[in-house]
Amino acid sequence: MNAFNRRDFLKGCCVTALAAGPGSRARAWFAPPDLLPAAATEDTLVVVFLRGAMDGLSLLPPGASSPYRADYEAARTNTRVPVSGAGAALALANTTWALHPRATGLHALYQAGHAAFVVAAGQMQPNPVVRSHFEAQSNLEFGVGGGSGNGIGWLTRHLVSGGLPANVPLPAVSMGSITASSLLGSSDAITMNSGSDFRLDTFHWSWQDDDAAHGIVGAVGRMNALWSGSTTQLERAGRETLDSLALLRPIDFNPWDATNHPNGYQPTGGANYTLAYNSGFGAQLRNVAQMIKLNLGLRAVTIDLGNWDTHVGQGNPTQSYDWFGNQVESLSQGLSAFYTDLSTAAQGNLMQRVSVIVVSEFGRRVLENADGGTDHGYGNVITVLGGTVNGAHVYGTFPGLATAQLYEGTDVAVTTDYRRVISEALIRRMGNPNIYYAFPGYSGYAPLGIFQGSDLPPTGYDQIFGNGFDAA
Amino acid sequence: MAAAPASAAFHAARRRLFDAVFAAVAPPTDPNLSRRRPGRDGIFDDLPASPDALTPPPASVRWLTRATFGYSIVDAIAFNALGSTDEARWQAWVDQQLSPATINDAVCDALLANAGFTTLSRTPEQLWAAREASSNYFQRMLPIAETECATLIRQLHSKRQLFEVMVSFWHDHFSVFGWDYDGGPLFPPFDRDAIRPNVFGNFRAMLQATCQSAAMMYMLDLYGSVSGHPNENYARELMELHTLGAENYAGIVANPDSFNNMNALGHFTAWDGEEERLRYVDDDVYEAARALTGWTISGSNWWGPVGGAAPGTFAYDDTRHDQAPKHVLARYFAPYQAQGDGTRLFDMLAQHPGTAHFIAGKLCRRFIGDVVPDSLVQAAANLFHQQWQAPDQIAQVVAFILHSNEFKTGWGTKMKSPARSVVSALRATMSGFVPVPDNTSTYTPTEELLGRMQAAGQRLFYWPAPNGYPDTISAWSSTGALGLTLKLLPRLLEMHETESYNNAYPFIVDIQGQTLAAFPDPADRTAAKIIGYWCDRILGYRPQPTFGVVLDFFRQEAAAADPLDLVTDSTSNGQPQHVGVWHLNPPNTLSRHYTIARLRVAIGMLLCSPEFLRR
Repeated sequence: MNAFNRRDFLKGCCVTALAAGPGSRARAWFAPPDLLPAAATEDTLVVVFLRGAMDGLSLLPPGASSPYRADYEAARTNTRVPVSGAGAALALANTTWALHPRATGLHALYQAGHAAFVVAAGQMQPNPVVRSHFEAQSNLEFGVGGGSGNGIGWLTRHLVSGGLPANVPLPAVSMGSITASSLLGSSDAITMNSGSDFRLDTFHWSWQDDDAAHGIVGAVGRMNALWSGSTTQLERAGRETLDSLALLRPIDFNPWDATNHPNGYQPTGGANYTLAYNSGFGAQLRNVAQMIKLNLGLRAVTIDLGNWDTHVGQGNPTQSYDWFGNQVESLSQGLSAFYTDLSTAAQGNLMQRVSVIVVSEFGRRVLENADGGTDHGYGNVITVLGGTVNGAHVYGTFPGLATAQLYEGTDVAVTTDYRRVISEALIRRMGNPNIYYAFPGYSGYAPLGIFQGSDLPPTGYDQIFGNGFDAA
Repeated sequence: MAAAPASAAFHAARRRLFDAVFAAVAPPTDPNLSRRRPGRDGIFDDLPASPDALTPPPASVRWLTRATFGYSIVDAIAFNALGSTDEARWQAWVDQQLSPATINDAVCDALLANAGFTTLSRTPEQLWAAREASSNYFQRMLPIAETECATLIRQLHSKRQLFEVMVSFWHDHFSVFGWDYDGGPLFPPFDRDAIRPNVFGNFRAMLQATCQSAAMMYMLDLYGSVSGHPNENYARELMELHTLGAENYAGIVANPDSFNNMNALGHFTAWDGEEERLRYVDDDVYEAARALTGWTISGSNWWGPVGGAAPGTFAYDDTRHDQAPKHVLARYFAPYQAQGDGTRLFDMLAQHPGTAHFIAGKLCRRFIGDVVPDSLVQAAANLFHQQWQAPDQIAQVVAFILHSNEFKTGWGTKMKSPARSVVSALRATMSGFVPVPDNTSTYTPTEELLGRMQAAGQRLFYWPAPNGYPDTISAWSSTGALGLTLKLLPRLLEMHETESYNNAYPFIVDIQGQTLAAFPDPADRTAAKIIGYWCDRILGYRPQPTFGVVLDFFRQEAAAADPLDLVTDSTSNGQPQHVGVWHLNPPNTLSRHYTIARLRVAIGMLLCSPEFLRR
């Protein structure tokens, strides 16, 4: 990582800094610089990454009256989502696109105006296009138009340029064992796979915790001293980890249970996070909902749902074996539970300040392969949901499925850059106009109108940093 | 905009909610502990992986820590007997480790033989038959479960440590998710026949062996790739992950062999005088996929076994091979070359300088640090390239890296991954733990250990994607992975054999017994001596502040030179003695309170120190 140092810059100009001691991160804080966005909101942006390249043409196939239906049926036999009979796609309002039949939750959200889709979306940079999962995921998450830049993810750049107040306890969470690349380099993010598991509680009980009455300082309480010795990347990470563990320790992330977990979490509105497949995804969404309800200041969340690389045996909704359908059900039911839960919170409809954007590294080839699967393609569907989404609408310009309309003759072409969708959320929902800082190399912001909110003149971060971005 | 109100009242309400959430926690008094945000600018400053000020352990500790599954006193004693200087010992140690057959590994062999494994020696056809006959999930997946346990046993107990480290490296390189429903039951030959025989051998041989293994065939879908309908999954990862690497991928480029594109993408003269392109494009992936059509596992497709090949074994199906000419990396593949298309493809990729650089870079990063000077990578790559046909090609490159100045002088430029931390901790504490799969309702230490490794982000053969586990500090120091590792390590000292939470069984690590044995005279059982001893055992030196922090914890109000009672146990009502005496009655003599348990906690703290996780 080759980060510029905002701290040094801030020391030099507009800052009241109170150092608590050499090397300490504690108690010293910098007033937000004047030039940070005044419009910053307290919304939460949840980015769901479908790893492995989700087949958008199966999630959102052309419906019966779609001009693309004939080409779709010609290209898809074993993986086809039918429009009538068993396993028929669900019709959607205001469009000729249809939805995979297992996506009943998403369907309801769309029909109610809380969800929308963007077709033919993807990565317009880099050029040449890459069809490697790992490179394409990395490109999307670093957000510098290809490559990993200086090793800092786009969400990190959004957070540091987004007017985050200094007193926010938990600005960002990356749900997983390993930090999502979009949040790499962020000192604001906690990474954790499971809320209930994320605690130090395995030392022998007699000497684990503090017992002030008897003068015991337990092992957990001494861990910080153990990690205070020197300043390397490892020690810093260790202190971050201990800090994060301490922060979340008081929260009981287990499902509520009168006996064992009286302070556990009880979703509202009948939200059901128990997924038949990918149960971890449901639990993670539940953890995120709990943190949002606890008002910890969450601004950015990343969650993954994997297993979309369907080269073989993708299945279709007319079959009892339907791998892709199981995946869709997980995605749809999970997001639906999340929406239900947060929109029925005791504090009110919290979905009014939560936006979810569902991306995948690229789509899959239009023509299915001989193994009942699909290979790596290009353009794909982005799913958006939230209480302030202008839903029940399919956005974007679809270039068509005829061979001449396809990218390189094989793939859905990309007409909407993913950065355009996210940028709109950053400006209209998060109140951060520094989209060209979050996405160096991106230009020409033009909102599609997916999100409610005010537009701000898009900028980079140059007014503060000079060159703003330490490009690789 | 329908944003939440940003009024002062709103902030106050938020603050109250937050305070309520954290009411259970005392305000942080430790200057190293802070709530999130204060004092931070949102982006991490650059810190060196290893600053000059770091006090490193002795050379032999550093080298053994980096080249094995973790420092152990047993290895250190053997190392010291190898010569009169560290240099001479290192030379001898590397030579010995690179000839694993010369190392007597009877202890590990006996543990494996006594573990009761039933599937590991089965042939591919036997495994196939067992898979078809299996009636439950446990039986079906037993081959991968046993491979996982056997691998851990070897990592823990084998004296061929460098060999096991390289087995782990190649499994990460040719990463196969072990618990695939189709491939998992066929996994053992992938480890036994494709990886292990070639660990120090010839990359070209290993490359083809991994391709022909059923586990890989299922992982990357090659088994069903046929003429007219090639499945490109394997071919893509073959180039991107197994050979040339993403560093040599140029994306989608039309007409890559045109004069201009050849110049733009680079080219070189191959071993046989043919001109090849340096960087690969998508067309190469498609052409390579065609070259490998017909390579399959007999019986894996609906049309049944291939020729006379037994189901479950590798087969080449000539009737489903694409016989038309092909171009890969600008090289012409003549028509009707049958299986020769595939072997030629492997030849090309194995001798390609891009492959050499990609693999040399990964090896350097595994042994030395996340950032390695390219001069070293290039030198290792040159050796890999020159020796591409040598039977000991990989051993030569590994030796080159282990004798490099960067390896010998560096420290702290890597961290132990979660799995490596676990194995290292059990080795350092001389645990005799032998994990075995079981299908009973008893919660065994094996079950607990594997579950906790999974939670920490690194169970063996459990990475779902074909790119293998990450190998960087930034990945494994994520709060999720590191937090769960810090949770796992102290638990190792509390787990019981046979039934993990049952006090009636001995611990899988006998900290108390080893300590008593090390200090037979009770007068010697002082906090300073005991913590010093365990620092030496686990870390190979006594770094500060770790030594002082753990010493202060263990001694409590007693002087560092006061003997402590590690024998008297108040809980011996039919259970093993392992706790100590309750001593929180006035006058609260903490140094006498639960001392046996406190010793385990103290050693657990050593395992949670940055020095233990550094390498």
